[in-house]
Amino acid sequence: MALNRRIAVIGSAIMAPAAAQNQSLEELLYDIAQAAMKDAGLTADGIDGIVVASNDQFDGRAISVMAASGSVGGVDRDILSTPSASEHAFVMGVLRVASGQYETQLIVSWSPVEASSLSEAQRLGADPYFHRALPLDELSGAALQASAVLAARPEAIDLAARLSARNKANGRRAYPEAATSEAIGTKPRWPIAADMVAPPVLGAVAIVIASEDHVAKNGLKNVAWVRGMGWATEAGFLGDRDLAIAPALEEAARRAYAEAGLSDPRNELDVVELTDVSPYQELLAYEGLGLSGKQTWKDDVLSGVFDPGGSLPVNPSGGVAAINPVFCTGLIRIAEAARQVQGKAGRHQLDNAQTALGHAASGFAMMYQTVLVLGENKDGAAA
Amino acid sequence: MELLKRREAWNITYTHALGETASWFFVQIRDNARIYGRRCGKTGRVLVPPRAFSDQTLEPTTDWVEVGPGGRIETFTIVYEEFQNLPPPPYAFGYVMLDGADTAIGGFFKGVDLAEPAKAAEQLKVGTRVITKFAEQRKGDMLDFWFERG
Repeated sequence: MALNRRIAVIGSAIMAPAAAQNQSLEELLYDIAQAAMKDAGLTADGIDGIVVASNDQFDGRAISVMAASGSVGGVDRDILSTPSASEHAFVMGVLRVASGQYETQLIVSWSPVEASSLSEAQRLGADPYFHRALPLDELSGAALQASAVLAARPEAIDLAARLSARNKANGRRAYPEAATSEAIGTKPRWPIAADMVAPPVLGAVAIVIASEDHVAKNGLKNVAWVRGMGWATEAGFLGDRDLAIAPALEEAARRAYAEAGLSDPRNELDVVELTDVSPYQELLAYEGLGLSGKQTWKDDVLSGVFDPGGSLPVNPSGGVAAINPVFCTGLIRIAEAARQVQGKAGRHQLDNAQTALGHAASGFAMMYQTVLVLGENKDGAAA
Repeated sequence: MELLKRREAWNITYTHALGETASWFFVQIRDNARIYGRRCGKTGRVLVPPRAFSDQTLEPTTDWVEVGPGGRIETFTIVYEEFQNLPPPPYAFGYVMLDGADTAIGGFFKGVDLAEPAKAAEQLKVGTRVITKFAEQRKGDMLDFWFERG
């Protein structure tokens, strides 16, 4: 189903990792919101509504609007929050503008590292009857998924090592002051090696979106149009799922590509930013997005098609493997994709990135999947 | 300048209701060392762990079906990190499709030397047949049983 109106990303800001010691959460959120609005050429008076996303267990606060309202302009202004995923705040923001009731939205997400253990906080996501007694956190979910992928395609072990090295090299190039090459600092989860996963860091991201009317009225020339958007969810119990496939991602991609009018995404996309906790998830995402499949993973990965200089570069930012602000990584991928289209990606800006895909996954073993196709050309989405 | 931090430790205890379906399941584990699933009347699929309704068909499940004790490893991982309220690491856990079930149940794997991860992973590889083992003293929770190669 196409959107009612054309909508574009008109500004954004990424702070990841953010300075961890010298700001309170409220101060960080003030800075990130101000930076995104400045990038969009707006002040808070030009923002019609706000959507925020954060994880209460990570924050050590209940109901993230309580912490964020004052910082992001939510006092006396429409503000909603979602705890499900940072990328869902973007989906909600787009739908709010598409409703015709809003011209602009500010979308903000963050992820602190103030909890004694993010793994323990993540375990609270599991039901208290059948799964709470298991060591089920994001990394365990990714590891269970990796074992399933390896059982299906044993060669994935070598491909994962290659993808991990590429993502880390990309991260060092894109964010040399921030990207880490150190091991996670805790312990590996078989079959995921410790050095494949970046340690959690404090991060925040904000995006401003606007209607086509707002873009025209303000003469904005450099925006990233939302050409297509899809999102879908798999079963909550991991044992109900085949972890070696990503049907929710296939569905999310199908919807996003249909809206965007893409029939051959591998050739029509110019850049992809993926949310991949492990490189095994990256392989699954290639399949779910229709960019490669289990039969062709090896040839495609080894040919370098997804490397810098390849025909479809993936994760020029380095992705989650380089910098991992856990909860808000999905929204950061969308911001990175938009910034590529706007030519504002920075050191990792690609030449001629006209059409970009931002992929976000969250929940245990990529339970929630979201796909955004963003473009310089506004065709798509609103049919 | 001097930057302060505030440390907050909370200790809130929750007492969750299990409902009739999960209660019956755990009583059978506790009293009889048997694992049961619930059949979806619409599809015939046997859901393990049991649910009062299928989240695919949204129909109430209709009857209890004993499953296992044998099964097949669907996926696994080996964990080296310490978690609250769990045995000291390392340990292996994953999902097992018990005989007669259509969905897999999570649980721990025991009886495998985890000192060398690659060797342990070979013992636990996807498709390996396992048997459910039960603790002598059972409380009616997920730690009452585990899986061993067999």
